[in-house]
Amino acid sequence: MRARGLSSLPAVVLAAALVGLLLVPFVALVASSSIEDWRAGVAHPMFAPALRLSAWTSISSVLVILLAGTPLAWWIATSRSRIARIVEVLVELPIIVPPAVVGVALLQVFGRSGLLGDLGLGLAFTSAAVIVAQIVVAAPFFVQAAASAFREVDQDAVLVARSLGATREVAFLRVALPMASPGLITGASLAWARALGEFGATLLFAGNLTGVTQTLPLAVFSALEADVRLAVVFASVLAGVGVVLLLGLRGLPALIAGRSR
Amino acid sequence: MLHALLLACVTLAGCEAHPGARARVTVFAASSLTEAFAEIEREFERAHPGVDVSVTFAGSQVLRLQIEQGARADVFASANPSHIRALEDARLIHDIERFALNELVVIVPPENPAKIQAVEELGRAERLVIGDRHVPVGHYTDAMLDRIDRRRGGGFARDVRGSVVSREGNTRLVRAKVELGEADAAVVYKTDALASERVRSIEIPAPLNERAEYMIGLGVEERAGEHALAARFRDFVTSPRGQRVLAEHGFLTRGD
Repeated sequence: MRARGLSSLPAVVLAAALVGLLLVPFVALVASSSIEDWRAGVAHPMFAPALRLSAWTSISSVLVILLAGTPLAWWIATSRSRIARIVEVLVELPIIVPPAVVGVALLQVFGRSGLLGDLGLGLAFTSAAVIVAQIVVAAPFFVQAAASAFREVDQDAVLVARSLGATREVAFLRVALPMASPGLITGASLAWARALGEFGATLLFAGNLTGVTQTLPLAVFSALEADVRLAVVFASVLAGVGVVLLLGLRGLPALIAGRSR
Repeated sequence: MLHALLLACVTLAGCEAHPGARARVTVFAASSLTEAFAEIEREFERAHPGVDVSVTFAGSQVLRLQIEQGARADVFASANPSHIRALEDARLIHDIERFALNELVVIVPPENPAKIQAVEELGRAERLVIGDRHVPVGHYTDAMLDRIDRRRGGGFARDVRGSVVSREGNTRLVRAKVELGEADAAVVYKTDALASERVRSIEIPAPLNERAEYMIGLGVEERAGEHALAARFRDFVTSPRGQRVLAEHGFLTRGD
């Protein structure tokens, strides 16, 4: 059953207005820079290190999130315990709390005089701090999406696999994971996009040094102080990477579904 | 188009001002002026009952951008001459004059882990935080390091820059890294150091130091009544009373 499109005029107007509000700023962003601005922006000494750093730190963060977030989401989705319900709510905390607060909180743990800093695990001002900040702000998006995807998995199918002799792990990997994969991919793409755009926690916890902790969003912030046109180019690249990422990962589930059919 | 839209809003808001409402002066001021201008605001309002001064603090470059995009500022106080001069050239700000100077100092945490006693020992810091080279404080810090390097040689500036772990977007962020105990040392304006109880400051001798010029100017405003008030606020800042407040917060004023 498919909805036959929007019928009433007010609904169309409201929906179109929202689409406009969401998209027009980005069109204006890209349209406001000239070819010369782009040439200068891409050649700027801040640009390449920031792009490289953003790429490898966000990929690292997403891998960690997938590795640790998948079992967590499975447990949240399948456990009936009260603790699971409490954990489910608590892991969403970083979505509600402003990123700058996350940054200060991370300093209280991994800072020089923080809880783990005393043990020599001080991370502030390192690329590892960039990754940790990204994991904290982005993981909730994946865990949330993955848990709802796992809830949709037919538990009977998992039970059948188990009764046919599959171990827990095999049943999970061969039955539950493929069934939930579209939801997992959506969650991963959301988390990746959030990691790529992470700014506030990184600024406070990791600092701002070209090649070490200055990711693309921080470079936009720095460029804003130097030359607005530069900031516009950096921001456009960031938006472009986000769009490619989103389209690519949204297309992936359809591709997988198409192949398995 | 954005400009036109903003302008339209500003004009509309202006039309709505009722005769009985309090007169309002909007001041845009550099973030390093936060404490001093908050006090000047209080004193000015006490001396001018019925006048409401509202001050917005941000980096001078950000404030400049906002004014360029049509934000209404009756008074602009910049920590850097280049930004206010650019606005003067664009005919958005006029009648600019210098009203204060600021100097750099080295700050360390109270326990001073790197045992730094003088600016020449900055290289001892394992973790040094300074301003981004695009913001005034970072620009002045680089100039100061280069000046000491020319006098002392021996790769002083290179050593010091080697221990920089972060270049922050404004002086308050630089200071926060020392307050949080994450950095062994940082370079900020003298006024930022004075305004915090959680840092110790180490003076930089005048021949090695850089001086930041603070300039104030008036916004281009059609309504004459408000404009006169803006001019009065600026005159208050440059008056002996305003200058005393600035001096109390560590600025160098006309007397210096």
